[in-house]
Amino acid sequence: MKFKKLTALCLAGAMVLSTVACGGGGSDSGNSDGGDGDSGSSEGGELSISIWDTNQEPGINEILADFTEETGIKTKLTVVKWDEYWTMLEAGAQGGSLPDVFWMHSNESERYMSNDMLLDLTDKIADSDLIDPANYPEDIWGLYTHEDKYYAVPKDVDTIALWYNKTMFDEAKLDYPTADWTWDDMFEAAKKLTKEDGSQYGLALRNDNNQAGYYNMIYDNGGFVIDDDKTKSGWDDPKTIEAMEQVEEFIKAGVMPSMETMSENGEDVLFQSGKVAMVLQGSWMLAAYRDNEYTAENCDCVELPKSATTDRRVSIYNGLGWAASANGSNTENAWKLIEYLGSEAAQKKQAELGVTMSAYTGTSDAWADSADFNLEAYLNMMDDMVIRPYSKSTVTWENEDNEILKDVYTGDKSMKDACKEMADQMNEKLAEE
Amino acid sequence: MTKNGKPAMTGREKSELLWGWLFILPTVIGLIILNIIPIIQTIYQSFFKTGDFRKGNIFVGIENYSKVFGDAEVWQSLINTLKYAIVEVPFSIVIALVLAVLLNRKMKGRSVYRTIIFLPMVAAPAAVAMVWRWLFNSDFGLINNVFHVHVKWVSDPKIAVFAVAVIGVWSILGYNMVLFLSGLQEIPGDYYEAAQIDGATGIKSFFHITIPLLSPTIFFVLVTRVIGALQVFDLMYMVMDKSNPALDKTQSLVYLFYKYAFINKNMGYGATIVVLLLVITMIVTVFQMIGQKKWVFYN
Repeated sequence: MKFKKLTALCLAGAMVLSTVACGGGGSDSGNSDGGDGDSGSSEGGELSISIWDTNQEPGINEILADFTEETGIKTKLTVVKWDEYWTMLEAGAQGGSLPDVFWMHSNESERYMSNDMLLDLTDKIADSDLIDPANYPEDIWGLYTHEDKYYAVPKDVDTIALWYNKTMFDEAKLDYPTADWTWDDMFEAAKKLTKEDGSQYGLALRNDNNQAGYYNMIYDNGGFVIDDDKTKSGWDDPKTIEAMEQVEEFIKAGVMPSMETMSENGEDVLFQSGKVAMVLQGSWMLAAYRDNEYTAENCDCVELPKSATTDRRVSIYNGLGWAASANGSNTENAWKLIEYLGSEAAQKKQAELGVTMSAYTGTSDAWADSADFNLEAYLNMMDDMVIRPYSKSTVTWENEDNEILKDVYTGDKSMKDACKEMADQMNEKLAEE
Repeated sequence: MTKNGKPAMTGREKSELLWGWLFILPTVIGLIILNIIPIIQTIYQSFFKTGDFRKGNIFVGIENYSKVFGDAEVWQSLINTLKYAIVEVPFSIVIALVLAVLLNRKMKGRSVYRTIIFLPMVAAPAAVAMVWRWLFNSDFGLINNVFHVHVKWVSDPKIAVFAVAVIGVWSILGYNMVLFLSGLQEIPGDYYEAAQIDGATGIKSFFHITIPLLSPTIFFVLVTRVIGALQVFDLMYMVMDKSNPALDKTQSLVYLFYKYAFINKNMGYGATIVVLLLVITMIVTVFQMIGQKKWVFYN
């Protein structure tokens, strides 16, 4: 049958394509270790590394190439999207096949550490000349410490800033945002930047933008999301509710695109396509905005607004850690890589390449020069930082929070009721931990 | 030995029995390892509150089940799944059947048409869903821009599940068509010739010859498609963002299972949801098996 042949041909074609793609990846990593292949091969297999951010892939690859050159240990980097990343890691942890080295995040670290999935780095750090815990923010060590043992080396820190579209501000004859702005100023500007025909909105702040979005407003206002003992939710705290009711005002005033539009396109896409004038974004978004022609030309960033009542300007911050598998076959080399990635030289390079701000104190200044934006703003936001709220089951209660907030965005629930509901479900989940 | 009522096996029969088993052994082993054991494990897990990384499971009896039965989200997801199936199954079968009949004739470019219709089947489901996600996009999507409308295809709770079902129909069409084509080629041409002599029109012979003689194939496609539609997951997962306001009214049971088992890390509850799905699928299939006696003709 002709038809069968054609189908078979198509299938075969697809397979050939995918093998070619794999081969391409392989030869890439082959290039990076260049001439000293013979010294590397005796060390045994290459290290597998997993991360979730494609924006950081090129920079990380460059740093890994340096590492291979220095030590002769080959590496293979895999990027898996955020959602699938954790599914993959979970399966790997259960099946005993975690990558050798991978990113850890505060949302999940506690579960992995308390179940002995991560390699204990305490003694290795104590013996190391390159890593001294005093050189990294204490809170970030806190994310990756369990029962006084270290399980990851800090990779980066991230802070939040306000991004705005200069062209739209010019067109509306408004002054650009400054570091003296309050949240009310932002709201007023957003109203003026919103066009009635729906072709342009002042602001985009989605229901799930907590770290870069409303968490900052809550802490500015003196509220909290989780208490220090990780036993009680702060969603029903009057100060928290007050801050969140300001978000409700944004929603009701119509300065943001509809929930449907924001969910279909995402804040960053709307900003990059000139649909919204302002977004609140973390420093990890730099690469995306730098490489996008439109944002590179028309947009800039500035410190977050502050609270008018408390005069406080908080940036929620977080930092990833480089962790290794506890039962990997090659933990010695894995540690060598982590040590290298945490070293001052590699941290500095990470900042210079504009990958992210680095965790190592004093290395991030280079990052501010890596693109033509006012990146100083992100560094200035480090003056008053609060670590991203977390507990052992962060993901579970955070997702539920987002679900509940959806109803506020669609107008089915008042913010006050939603906050009460979020507090209840969160307390319930914290009690189960 | 023959006195016991059971005739003794001859040597030949014995060896046939042995070889028969030997030949199906690979399939049986695969089935046991990949299907039967996981099914048992899943059922087993549904009675536990599972710990992190499957360590420290706590037996909770039927607690998961009583929670599932009281969970409005589960029932809503079941309704969503059924809505999806009600659109996907009949449309994909009827359209595929018509296409198969049209493409079963001798005509120019027949294999080109067949290949085009079959192509979605070859494309990766994730890629298909991504393309449709952009077609359906309410602000920048091709469909809305070409027709100058502003329909929120995949974020309006009232229509999202049907929009997703359209993708389902489109991607399964080719597969159904191929099955029907092979069924059509089994039907001897004499019947049509005889009907033509008796003065039957094309439409008449379609309803009175093609459909009855094709009914075993239609039945097979129906059963497998219903089961497939009840298990839909990838389309919702790829097309809809987590913050989509229509998600509650669109997510399928398997999507809910994924959410509990892999995102919220509550394997026990997730397992309970799929056991519910398994039971529903079995009930639906049993009814179809009973119903087939009324309309399927095996000659």
